[in-house]
Amino acid sequence: MQRRKLLKVRTLNNLPAAAEQLLNDASGFRIFAIYGGMGAGKTTFIKEICHHLGAADSVTSPTFTLVNEYMVPGADSICHFDFYRINKITELYDFGFEEYIDSGRYCFIEWPEISEELLPDECVAVWITTEEDESRTIEYTLPGIT
Amino acid sequence: MSVTILAIESSCDDTSAAVVRDGFLLSNLIANQDVHRQYGGVVPELASRAHQANIVPVVDTAIKQAGVKSDEIDAVAFTRGPGLLGSLLVGASFAKGFAVARKLPLIEVNHLHAHVMAHWISEHGAENRLPRFPFLCLLVSGGHTQILIIRDHRSIEQIGSTIDDAAGEAFDKCAKVMGLGYPGGPVIDRLAAEGDSAKFSFSKPVIKDLDYSFSGLKTSFLYFLRDRLKEDPDFVKNNLNHLAASLQRTIVEILMNKLIKAADSTGILEIGIAGGVAANSGLRKAVTREAEKRKWNIFLPAMRYTTDNAAMIAITGYYKYLSADFSDHDITPLARYNL
Repeated sequence: MQRRKLLKVRTLNNLPAAAEQLLNDASGFRIFAIYGGMGAGKTTFIKEICHHLGAADSVTSPTFTLVNEYMVPGADSICHFDFYRINKITELYDFGFEEYIDSGRYCFIEWPEISEELLPDECVAVWITTEEDESRTIEYTLPGIT
Repeated sequence: MSVTILAIESSCDDTSAAVVRDGFLLSNLIANQDVHRQYGGVVPELASRAHQANIVPVVDTAIKQAGVKSDEIDAVAFTRGPGLLGSLLVGASFAKGFAVARKLPLIEVNHLHAHVMAHWISEHGAENRLPRFPFLCLLVSGGHTQILIIRDHRSIEQIGSTIDDAAGEAFDKCAKVMGLGYPGGPVIDRLAAEGDSAKFSFSKPVIKDLDYSFSGLKTSFLYFLRDRLKEDPDFVKNNLNHLAASLQRTIVEILMNKLIKAADSTGILEIGIAGGVAANSGLRKAVTREAEKRKWNIFLPAMRYTTDNAAMIAITGYYKYLSADFSDHDITPLARYNL
């Protein structure tokens, strides 16, 4: 059974707690699809998550590069994807997306819609929504434990 | 003695090959339908990152256009990174194969270093003004925004960088919000020429040292449009030129602010820009204006060197060749490759 959770993020100051909460709830999972419109704060949230995971590199937008990798001292590197520029699923095969997904490393995917059929069942789906007062709602579903 | 370098670039979307002899560019090809047609091969659908389909025709055409014989090539340079691993692998493997077959030295090149080194490309029949060292360069594209100091042909130091989005991404994403499609940077530039750049103002980030941030600008632009559209559904349509001009002015001001700071703090007067956003007319004008005020000796790249190209890999490879800086064949591409 899937588990669903909702977090309210009023200001940027609440973001570290939200990142920590997500990582605690999703412990054991490695693949995260991060949904949200432009300016919702997807990269900013992933930046906070990577900081929690001990990334040594600065987290920047992978819109142009499609994938960024961040080193984590003493652990596997983190992969940060952005499929905003991807038009066809074959482009994902071409750059070896499946290998990243199967690598056992943390993978965070922005604009994941086009990649959905390649994502495993054990994928945490995260939605970031901007509210009228510019606060954010972060909602996520955790895959059922089988 | 004459030195001829063949170079291959395949770090991201485009496949490119170039030939440089003694610092002079002989050919610089980017895979397109024409290359495939001339080569007589099947014309594939022109897809991004189709490096495997492109590499043989584009290298073959570059060598032919250069008018050199394959046995006149002295070394093969290739982009080692940063970029997409799968894309880099195609170029690296091809370069290795070519080098082995012809018993040539192999030269690895950092793509970011090469963007700056493009200022050292000489062309027959051109003026060929080359920067002197130390050279301060703003490298600004869809994926990068960095301030670099280059002290000699082979070493480069980063003194500032974006902490989130690149400047080119700010152009492209704001263009998308205005319904201009992707990539929208060039469209904004064109519309901006007809607009009033003082019409709207957007908040600029306060970031320490020589670093940049463009994520906030994107978001504030988005909120600005959202609020105005509530009052007037035709707001974007009626103000497209002014929005483009105001946005471009803001991005250029942010870029210039740190470039001036870097020039002042280092005392360097040889100054250039490189990368895709170096094609932006607003940025070129701003750099030219500051140069007059501050006695900078400036270098603005030709448009053909602002996009990804193998000419810049070839010129970087040429200087590495002169220092006998060669790579072993067990060298692997690097998705992350810091300067």
